[in-house]
Amino acid sequence: MITVKNITKRYGDHVAVNDVSFEVNEGEVVGFLGPNGAGKSTTMNIITGYLSATDGTVEVDGHDVLEEPNEVKRRIGYLPELPPLYGEMTVTEYLRFVARLKKAVDADGSAMERILELVGVTHVRERLIGNLSKGYRQRVGLAQALVSGPQALILDEPTIGLDPHQIIEIRNLVRDLGKGHTIVLSSHILPEVSAVCDRIIIINRGQLVASDTTENLAKRLSGGSQYLLRVGGADNAVQAAIKGVTGVSGVSSRGVVEADSVDVIVDFDDGADPRRAMFTALSKADLPILQMKPVDVTLEQIFLQLTTREGGGSN
Amino acid sequence: MVAIIRRELRSYFVSPVGYSFIGFFLVLNGLMLLVTNLITGSPAYQFTIGSMSTWSLLAMPLLTMRLLSDEKRLRTDQLLLTVPVSVGQVVLAKFLAALAVFGGGTLITVIYPVALSFFGDLAVGRIIGAYLGYLLLGGAFIAIGIFMSSLTENQLIAAILTLAALALMMWILPGVRDTFITASTVSGIVFASVVGALVALLVYLATKNVTLTGVTIILFAGAIVVVALLSAQFFETLLLDFLQWFLLGDRFDVFMTGVIALSPVVYLLSFIGLFLFLTVRVVEKARWA
Repeated sequence: MITVKNITKRYGDHVAVNDVSFEVNEGEVVGFLGPNGAGKSTTMNIITGYLSATDGTVEVDGHDVLEEPNEVKRRIGYLPELPPLYGEMTVTEYLRFVARLKKAVDADGSAMERILELVGVTHVRERLIGNLSKGYRQRVGLAQALVSGPQALILDEPTIGLDPHQIIEIRNLVRDLGKGHTIVLSSHILPEVSAVCDRIIIINRGQLVASDTTENLAKRLSGGSQYLLRVGGADNAVQAAIKGVTGVSGVSSRGVVEADSVDVIVDFDDGADPRRAMFTALSKADLPILQMKPVDVTLEQIFLQLTTREGGGSN
Repeated sequence: MVAIIRRELRSYFVSPVGYSFIGFFLVLNGLMLLVTNLITGSPAYQFTIGSMSTWSLLAMPLLTMRLLSDEKRLRTDQLLLTVPVSVGQVVLAKFLAALAVFGGGTLITVIYPVALSFFGDLAVGRIIGAYLGYLLLGGAFIAIGIFMSSLTENQLIAAILTLAALALMMWILPGVRDTFITASTVSGIVFASVVGALVALLVYLATKNVTLTGVTIILFAGAIVVVALLSAQFFETLLLDFLQWFLLGDRFDVFMTGVIALSPVVYLLSFIGLFLFLTVRVVEKARWA
């Protein structure tokens, strides 16, 4: 559906996006993840034809964004980071204006009603957009992207600046929309992306760092698995005892949390499960295990690992 | 495109902008009427339109200052430029909306000549000609205003740039022209040299290449010498001919005689077209910056 090939965007000497390529298939919900200033918005602006890439091509449904901009724009609904709203219009006036711009056919107004209902702005439809709260403006922005029923939605930070309750609502809305649309959604909030998206594209300092499903990313990066242990005894003795167990690839101390004990993180080799052996080893050394629990690799860790490894910096 | 025209018109009249413009415009027109027709008891209403042609430029920035600058400031250009509508259509729609408000204000003033006709004989042909010329001139003012508003995100800067450009063309350049009316060969040569120096400066700034700049200077100097030797009278009128390109007012004056000649009509229409085209270029160039 969307094919981005080697796009680069330069502002003078500053390279905002550097040779980024990826594909989004029909019906997929893809999360576009990166720290602030990573080039997410620039990439989205290039896909929607608002900016032109210095190099590279973007195709939507086989149409090049430079050669057939209108064919591309017809197929895309775009919610920019700051919703493009006119404060002096009411919600319905604004959406009708957008519908006319997009040449949407909606003779009986039923499509408009459906969108108002879907994003939950029916009860504020006659209010001036300038008087609406941030959450409602965001919804109107989303409604604007949905007008004319585009096949693909590009949503730039759709939940930014919303309260937790609204974030959950918008997230559910995006999940529902994902059933009928191809969606590219940007965010720097990781749980959001893992909750909604089929696939994640991570971008940092203008470069593509990874593109895979959440599970694959976790698998690829963690190697084996990690456990957190709390053991009664001295740090050195505990570490020495655990290191002697086969299947353990590393031990690191997390300091003392509970008196007369020490917390350690133990890394296991790929596929190994030395939990029983650890128990035996520690009990032989008279070091009682007070707690043992698996450490899940979160998206945060993946993200930090990826973005700090490349070029040594995340914000 | 119709959608944008409607939105712009609506936006003029839900805010004080449209009313301010029309109010200011009518006050100016009333003053001109007072001075030109009422105090002197003259029915020559075309001269009121003539005065308006130079003074109404004061009201123009109100119409045009926010047309494109506000879209950029509020990021609503992200909507206009990502829907299947071309930049040319956006600019043209905004131009037509502003022209409609200007035309509406002008239409109200038709009351004055109608009222005057009860008290004296009007030169109907001249007044109609003056109105037509005035609409074209107003279109040119608006085109400049839209262009200025495409250059900045700040309405105030757009307004000041517009005023400066209009004052230059309607007030300052005619003054300069009158000063050099007895043009001499020397003034033409000085002018050509200044143009040559400016071009050389631009070449230097663009390329930072001393050789190329030197070649430019030599070419210009050579051309001036050759032309001066072959036909000295070329320089006699050079400055005036050059100024003539920018004198919008002179084109308008033709209409006041009641003659609708082709050349001022074509001139004003191409002037409008040129500035709308430049505006489109500025907006499109922002995508590549």
